[in-house]
Amino acid sequence: MTAAARAISGTGPSRRPRARPLEWLLVHLAFVAVSAFFLAPFLWLFGAAFDENATAYIHWPSAPTFNNFIRIFTEHDFGVALGNSVFVSVATMLLVVVTVSLAGYSLSRIELRRKDWITYGILLLQTMPLSATMVPIYGLARQLGLRNSYLGLILIHATIELPFLVWLMKGFFDSVPRQLEEASWLDGRTKLRALIEIVLPLARPGLGIAAGLSFLSAWAEVLMVIILVDQQSMKTVPLAFYEAMRNQGGYTEVQYGVIAAMAILYLMPVMAVFIGARRLMVRGLMSSTRGL
Amino acid sequence: MARVEYEDVWKQFASQGAPAVRGLSLDIADGELLVLLGPSGCGKTTALRMLAGLEEPDRGDIRIAGTSVVGREPKDRDVALVFQSYALYPHLSARENIRYPLKLRKMSRAEQDKRVDHVADMLGIARLLPRRPSQLSGGEQQRVALARAIVREPRVFLMDEPLSNLDAKLRVHTRTELKTLQRELGTTMVFVTHDQAEAMSLANRIAILSAGELQQIGTPDEVYDHPANLFVAEFIGSPPMNLLEVTRDGDTLVAADGWRLPAPLTRERPAGELMVGLRPEAIAIKSEGHAAEVVAVEPLGSEVIVDVRIAGKALKVRAAPSVRPQPGSTVHLAVEPGGVRLFDRSTGSALH
Repeated sequence: MTAAARAISGTGPSRRPRARPLEWLLVHLAFVAVSAFFLAPFLWLFGAAFDENATAYIHWPSAPTFNNFIRIFTEHDFGVALGNSVFVSVATMLLVVVTVSLAGYSLSRIELRRKDWITYGILLLQTMPLSATMVPIYGLARQLGLRNSYLGLILIHATIELPFLVWLMKGFFDSVPRQLEEASWLDGRTKLRALIEIVLPLARPGLGIAAGLSFLSAWAEVLMVIILVDQQSMKTVPLAFYEAMRNQGGYTEVQYGVIAAMAILYLMPVMAVFIGARRLMVRGLMSSTRGL
Repeated sequence: MARVEYEDVWKQFASQGAPAVRGLSLDIADGELLVLLGPSGCGKTTALRMLAGLEEPDRGDIRIAGTSVVGREPKDRDVALVFQSYALYPHLSARENIRYPLKLRKMSRAEQDKRVDHVADMLGIARLLPRRPSQLSGGEQQRVALARAIVREPRVFLMDEPLSNLDAKLRVHTRTELKTLQRELGTTMVFVTHDQAEAMSLANRIAILSAGELQQIGTPDEVYDHPANLFVAEFIGSPPMNLLEVTRDGDTLVAADGWRLPAPLTRERPAGELMVGLRPEAIAIKSEGHAAEVVAVEPLGSEVIVDVRIAGKALKVRAAPSVRPQPGSTVHLAVEPGGVRLFDRSTGSALH
């Protein structure tokens, strides 16, 4: 039986009436428009990165070249920035994962007076705009000697994401039955060991989100880097962008090709993290909306 | 293997008004199977969790093999607990679940495997070992949980309603197995349930709790034949004991409607307001006796429960399967003195 015959007789698996041609055309046009809107910047990126005379408009390079990529490493110290960004982001991710595991677990399990207040207080912290606390953070960092230091960047990047992720992990821990832990204690484990062997593996999707989001947030953070870093050896990729625009004769004569080449290298680790952790993150995000 | 003692144990939860456990004292012999029985919220699970170390008593002492365990971590108590939910680790296979308690011991992996296999054979779950808990039925999960407890060879087994999630047929079957297993292993077991039939069939002794207090402790026969108070009388037995308000008249007891019952011999001279307890089998349907109206007849195969009414009060009578009076007809009831239990109505205590 052909698909059409099946549709007519109504016995086949596809009982949905077929769309009329005009409807089909409109739907697909809409898809194309939306896709073009979102893909255009990327198209520009790839065009400009291989073009020494790139402009702010999309156009294919007449003589494709790798010179832009070579220049960002030779003239702009991009290797240093990339290395700093990777180190700071990975360290932030590790710090966040350990911290939200312990903090989320504590909030989920420990009986405290006024625990609601603490829990909501943590969420309230997340609503504070970072720019509002920018000045005191700068002052603090100066006094504590955390400017131009990895530790300063790692601490502040971790802090930005912590409140939300602690709250998120609390939800994941709440969904792990307490009796599993109790069984583990009775089977000879200390509380920490039961957490590591039983609870954390079951909260893995949550850890996946915490790791992914904290890495991405640290990777993309600009404001705090600009405030806390003024040494060339400490700059991260977002700062390298900023400087690439600022140092080349002001904002009028921007070297678009250089920026595009930086952007492509900047996107790659993000793509790698997403592809590596996508299953875990999707699973985690879906169960987190259920769990909270 | 070990003796377990509770000595005047109290526990109050902050979230609750009344204490969950009040002054519980129990002495459980080495190798004994003691059932903690009571309705939900009576404190039986709390009592068990305090023995496991999952709760700490506010007052009193708990000893295993003569040594106090109060304040000791669960891991240091050497007791195994089977939870009502089984609490199998979902991310580990059945084999890894059973091996889990052995992993910290100084024991080669081969030896661990040998013990896991031995216990799995004993419980007939060898073929299930590679599976994850989510791939097992309720009954299979229950066995894996049991295997995880047995493989450790703990000093005490703790069971928190481990059979209540099984269907009726499997429950009765597993009950028998569990009893045999406990006898063979010879390990002390504390078993919590709200099911009096389960308690009766399993226990060496039953401890009945209500509102956090111990009501009675004794063998199944003792608590059935001589309930210590009205609570136990009503809780044990299915159908439960018939209770009638009576007044004393010389050597006989007079119930409503002028039914005269023989008074049992008691040490204390019964006085005040009294209550008589009659097991359904203590009442016989005879050709002569006190007249009662038949309300309903419940044939159960091996026996018949006849519901009768005397002066508006419903009673249940256990009779032979051949006895089939018509509803609405009148039967005559007779009671032997040995079957009559007497309670003080104001305190609820039995008069012996």
